[in-house]
Amino acid sequence: MDNQRISVLVVEDEVLIRMSMVDELEDAGFTVFVASNADQAIEMLIANSAIEVMFTDVDMPGGIDGLKLAASVRDRWPPIKIIVTSGHRQIDVKALPVEARFVIKPYDPMAIIRSIREMTAN
Amino acid sequence: MNQSQLQDSLGLTKAIIASSTAPVLLLDGKLSVIAASASFSDAFMIDATAIATKTFSELGDGEWSGAQLSALLEATAAGMADVQGYEMDLKRSGQPTRRVVISAQKLDYSDASDVRLLLTIADVTDARIADKVKAGLLQDNAILLQEVQHRVANSLQIIASILLQSARKVQSEETRTHLRSAHSRVMSIAAVQQQLAASSDHDVELRSYFEQLCKSLGASMISDPDKLSISVNVDKTVTNANISISLGLVVTELVINALKHAFPNERSGTITVDYHSDKNDWTLVVSDDGVGMPEDANAAIPGLGTGIVEALSRNLQAVIAVSDAKPGTRITICHRDDAEIDDTLEAA
Repeated sequence: MDNQRISVLVVEDEVLIRMSMVDELEDAGFTVFVASNADQAIEMLIANSAIEVMFTDVDMPGGIDGLKLAASVRDRWPPIKIIVTSGHRQIDVKALPVEARFVIKPYDPMAIIRSIREMTAN
Repeated sequence: MNQSQLQDSLGLTKAIIASSTAPVLLLDGKLSVIAASASFSDAFMIDATAIATKTFSELGDGEWSGAQLSALLEATAAGMADVQGYEMDLKRSGQPTRRVVISAQKLDYSDASDVRLLLTIADVTDARIADKVKAGLLQDNAILLQEVQHRVANSLQIIASILLQSARKVQSEETRTHLRSAHSRVMSIAAVQQQLAASSDHDVELRSYFEQLCKSLGASMISDPDKLSISVNVDKTVTNANISISLGLVVTELVINALKHAFPNERSGTITVDYHSDKNDWTLVVSDDGVGMPEDANAAIPGLGTGIVEALSRNLQAVIAVSDAKPGTRITICHRDDAEIDDTLEAA
């Protein structure tokens, strides 16, 4: 599958959700990196230049939430495609980078997989 | 009006003012007080005996003497303005400041010689505080509700993840299918949750709910969207949360059932979800153009899905009918209001 070359970073502090997402994405043929907070996410992105897509939760412990993470990733690594998720309906979409997608929780992993494929299709 | 009628009229006005439970003042053209209600003296702690000879701005310790208010009252006396809902802070030494709303109007006697102004003064301090508290409570409530919705969404995501993880781990294909169906059921309830969060009241728009539901069912259960699709045809019905959840679960079960049985060997086709209502009657039809029901009806083993559909339909006071759609299968869930009445009569 041509997904094999696509690397995805999953940023989620809830371990059960993260594990399930990793398995679903790996099954779909992606290479998956994980982080449980924004700082780890930045470290992962610095260490792995192959990452093309970041899928992040908005609500995470620590200083930076997913929205700020998305904004800084957009500034530092403009080509990275970003998908943001939250259980909050009232997300300030304006705070999101223009091309980023927002998915409300609970989401179906299949919907995320489809979004990743659409966003990385050339 | 002659002089004596005018006197009668003034006397009547004075009597009404004196007994008014709302603070009221009657002023003449020079803004001198002609009459004051006892409620005015009480509410604003002004000696009733000292009122009669004073002008409005001399009342109390001068707390009523605002330049702007005086100008407005003079303009009202001249017939050039009306004071409506003029707000000011009533500041008195040794007393907490009160917020008052003043309205004044010129009384229209046919004889223009004696100008009369009727002033009503309302103390809105407590009402304003109550409003503020209420607005604060409403805001707190909205924040709490958002927080609850957020937590519910997160919990549902965790539950959905556990079900998918379990489905992945089990060896038996049958158990895997059950766990995946359970995941779809959770997502079905989550979709209602999202619709409810989006609506200001507790009603759910069935069309957008079913569309979202079928999209999510398709995403998780259909491996090849080119072969199988789900089409949704729903009128503009809006129902309450409980009925929506039941209807949504029925749709979930019937669609899962059709996906499992109607299209074996990579057969392609469409599942149609149709809901229409007429006043209190409604009909939900889930049909497919697949292989149809097995010849031997006994070959169909009643699974959890069938039980859920039967129980929910009973709850919705609806009747289930299965028919041959040629090709495929049609399940009709039908609620008739008069059928419900028959039911009650029988019960009685």
